[in-house]
Amino acid sequence: MALLELQGVSLAFGGLKVVHDLDLQVEEREIVSVIGPNGAGKTTLFNLITGIYRPQAGDIMLDGASIVGLEPHQISRRGISRTFQTLRLFLNMSVKENVMAAAYGHTRAGIFRSMLRTPGMRREEREIEALAHERLAFFGERLMGYRWDQPAFSLSYANRRRLEIARATATNPRILLLDEPAAGMNPAETHEITELIAKLREDGGYTILVIEHDMHVVEGISDRVVALDHGIKIAEGSFESVATNEKVVEAYLGLNTAATK
Amino acid sequence: MDQFTQLTVDALTLGSVYALIALGYTLIYGVLKLLNFAHGDVFMVGSFIGFGVLQLLGGTDNPVVPVWALLVIITFAAMAGCATLGVVIERFAYRPLRDAPRIAPLISALGVSFFLANSMQLLFGADPRNYNTFDLSNGALYLRGIDIGNVRVPLLRIITIVAAFVLMVLLWFLVNRTRTGKAMRATSFDREAAAMMGIDIDRVIVFTFVLGSALAGAAGVLFAVRVPTTVSIGFVAGLKGFTAAVIGGIGSIPGAMAGGLILGFAESYTQGYVSTKWSDLVVFSILIAFMIFRPQGLLGRPDISKV
Amino acid sequence: MTDSTPHSSSIPASGPAVGQDEWVARHAARRLMPVGPLRTVEERLRIVPWWAWLVLFIAAMSLLPVVESSGYVRRVGFDTVLYMLLALGLNVVVGWGGLLDLGYVAFYGVGAYAYALLDSDKFGVHLPTLVAVPVVVVIGAVVGFLLGLPSRRLTGDYLAIVTLFFLQLFQTVMTNGDSAFGHNLTGGPNGILRIDPLHLFGHDLTVQHQGVFAVSYFYVALGFFAVVFVALRFVNSSRTGRAWRSLREDPLAAEAMGMPVNWLKLMSFSFGAAVAALTGTLFAALNASVFPLTFYFVLLITVYTMVILGGSGSQPGVVAGALIISPLLEMLRDPGKSRIIFFAVLIGGVGLAARRSRTLGVAAAATIAFGFAVHELARAIDASWVSGEKAGGFAGAVDHWVVHPAQLASWIPPVSYIGLIAATLLVTTLHGRLRLVALVPTLYLSAFVWENVMLAKPEPARYIVLGLILIALMILRPNGLLGERRVEIV
Repeated sequence: MALLELQGVSLAFGGLKVVHDLDLQVEEREIVSVIGPNGAGKTTLFNLITGIYRPQAGDIMLDGASIVGLEPHQISRRGISRTFQTLRLFLNMSVKENVMAAAYGHTRAGIFRSMLRTPGMRREEREIEALAHERLAFFGERLMGYRWDQPAFSLSYANRRRLEIARATATNPRILLLDEPAAGMNPAETHEITELIAKLREDGGYTILVIEHDMHVVEGISDRVVALDHGIKIAEGSFESVATNEKVVEAYLGLNTAATK
Repeated sequence: MDQFTQLTVDALTLGSVYALIALGYTLIYGVLKLLNFAHGDVFMVGSFIGFGVLQLLGGTDNPVVPVWALLVIITFAAMAGCATLGVVIERFAYRPLRDAPRIAPLISALGVSFFLANSMQLLFGADPRNYNTFDLSNGALYLRGIDIGNVRVPLLRIITIVAAFVLMVLLWFLVNRTRTGKAMRATSFDREAAAMMGIDIDRVIVFTFVLGSALAGAAGVLFAVRVPTTVSIGFVAGLKGFTAAVIGGIGSIPGAMAGGLILGFAESYTQGYVSTKWSDLVVFSILIAFMIFRPQGLLGRPDISKV
Repeated sequence: MTDSTPHSSSIPASGPAVGQDEWVARHAARRLMPVGPLRTVEERLRIVPWWAWLVLFIAAMSLLPVVESSGYVRRVGFDTVLYMLLALGLNVVVGWGGLLDLGYVAFYGVGAYAYALLDSDKFGVHLPTLVAVPVVVVIGAVVGFLLGLPSRRLTGDYLAIVTLFFLQLFQTVMTNGDSAFGHNLTGGPNGILRIDPLHLFGHDLTVQHQGVFAVSYFYVALGFFAVVFVALRFVNSSRTGRAWRSLREDPLAAEAMGMPVNWLKLMSFSFGAAVAALTGTLFAALNASVFPLTFYFVLLITVYTMVILGGSGSQPGVVAGALIISPLLEMLRDPGKSRIIFFAVLIGGVGLAARRSRTLGVAAAATIAFGFAVHELARAIDASWVSGEKAGGFAGAVDHWVVHPAQLASWIPPVSYIGLIAATLLVTTLHGRLRLVALVPTLYLSAFVWENVMLAKPEPARYIVLGLILIALMILRPNGLLGERRVEIV
């Protein structure tokens, strides 16, 4: 059974079909890339999976159980975490706190225990801090040292992308949705991200669904590639087969827009 | 039946004043996404400008101009004065904060509201100011009018209601049928895109404040020709106008009109049929009901947040 | 490398460039590298832990009744502690939760009224203090929770309107509650009288002791303050506190990271309400009476000014805000002190500004000369224009400089006041020499208005000062005195 399964998912804003009758299966520990031109519905797909939008038709199953209708934080607790294309860090909180905040879903201490600083609460705090250190250490020196206590707004663009990934992993997810992790990065950083995504699966055992425009990254990481256009899946398979697929080429180069109908 | 007629006339009078205030809120919210808390106090200042000009023209018992001219002059004076005030507020209290966190201009607006109310009290005291419109033409504005059943609707009521609606229709034309109106709508839809299309955003915002504040000034006079005004009416008037705008769907011009009338009817009927004391509770309940069941308001569009 | 040397032209001098690690490195280095004695002191002070500060602060506050025997000053001290509590509570909602709660002082009223109903002759209920106070706190929290429910999904703007209306509704209900369905529940505009004092450890805490304000309430309030401060500080550094600040920063990201944003908003909202209600019990017990009008817009703005001035989000900040604003408002009641404050601020402000540019010093000197010239001119034209002089003291000295007519014509206050506003706004738009030239008469006009118009009516005048503080803060220093500078990317 697939870990994540979408069956005939559709969403329209007004008359505009953003995602239409989409089927998708992601197996455990698989890395799947979603590609497609701008406006193809990729980010919307992520928003549907994480519960920010609710599909108007179809079903989304995690481990065989439907997650449609759940609030985003409930879906997060069931093991789906994400990063944002536009970077939505908690800018005025420190780097460490950004990661610690994401441990909210799998920690327990209530307000009153926090007020009284009970031993259990203090132990949990130490665990959260250790978790934050561990998640940040994944990126080597970049987010370590004095940067822990710096506000997130002071980070460079590439470091913000890294911090978003660290924050997403702090929810202890099974599935990671990465929305354009290499956007805005220089070639060296892009290369690093490619290796990093593979390492994320090695070390963390995550199943990863990634939206990416950079074909080198896609080629480097993907077990499987899914191409979307106008909310419809137009191709699926290995990188080579999708990259050479006639419809995909047309969708990107716009030779014949009618082909997507 | 007579009571019903009476209450309906009251509702229309009150509702049209609320609608005018709500229009200012809605216009300014449209272009700046800012709840201008000072708006109610601009309304209050308008009623005082009207009073001041009325005294300059000899007061109601001995006016130096004909009655119709008197009413027109005080209304326009209040509109002009408030428009100026609105522009000054925008220029000095809101413009420096246009790129600040969203809570900053809101708090600045609270400060402006508080500043205006207390400045007026400093200068003019807390005593009520009565226009004494009954003295105009020996009470003709009150004694003459239209009979509906056994109820005589005084001329003054008809004038205020008609004036309010004329202003609303003018506004509607201005926003929907002129170039500036188009620029306003574009700005309210997407400020950055509008700026890139060559629209002078500063000008549009200033113009919006002129329009909104002038409407508040007119509302101030239309309110104060019937009821004595004080420096403290701004808070409640602002709150009601604000509620009307939200109920109607903030950002929507017909919504603000509808919201104002709904509030007017709700208050008037509650006061007439239930108790004068609990109309606030009824209006609050309506607001809460809208918040729960239709947060975008009567005519507002649901917000599709882009992620 | 010192602070004043620009590192490179690409880094704006105004502050941190968003998203530049290099800046961070430099900023950190700069922090470690003190410039001037103040920085050194600041670095030393950083080593002292927060609880030591708190103990020091409480100890210093406790000395107030010892060094000051005047009942009035003690009373102001007590009120200041209440304001500190209110500011702490509002900080939870506005500073951490990022929610614009404009009904906050209504919860203070809810607390005061709830205590009044549970501990007075009104219905003959007299709960023990140790029962009544927790019950009132829970009532405050529940009311806050219920009010938050309909507005929980909505953005700040809608919350603002619902809560502001709630403030109005609280007024209406309390004022008309003397005839609700034929019952007198709230005493209406006359309020509730003869409320029980607090009763702790077998003693009634009396308000008056031999005709002077007794200190017991002051210490009880201080104790409440210490407990609330520590409890809230602990919450802030827990997962709940982090979640609150996360949702302030970005509710959608917080939600996607597993935080139940609606629930957290409600929590923050009702927590603020609970603190306000707790403070309300102290208020009611001390005054032995409650009236609806206490809990209205004026108080709301006062508490907001404290929080914003101190720095919303920072606990020491909002406490400092209360410590400044509360005595300031008291002193502005009194024309003598009010005059001194005005001139102290004027001279201090010009002095601070003059440190940056010499020319401002020239402007200050010019203003002084200008004042004497105008004063002499006025005397020459009509001696009655300067005959409003008082004998001796600071007031007398000032009257040799500021024109102070014996009788103010009715047009003078509005014209001079509005003229002052226009002149001030004009000065902010001018630049260079023109600004200096315009500054001289503006400063003098402000002194004239303060002496002749504002001092005559302290009640609106001091609230005008509050409004001005709010506006000026938002424009010049939105993070307040002790708040962290914030960045928001829309």
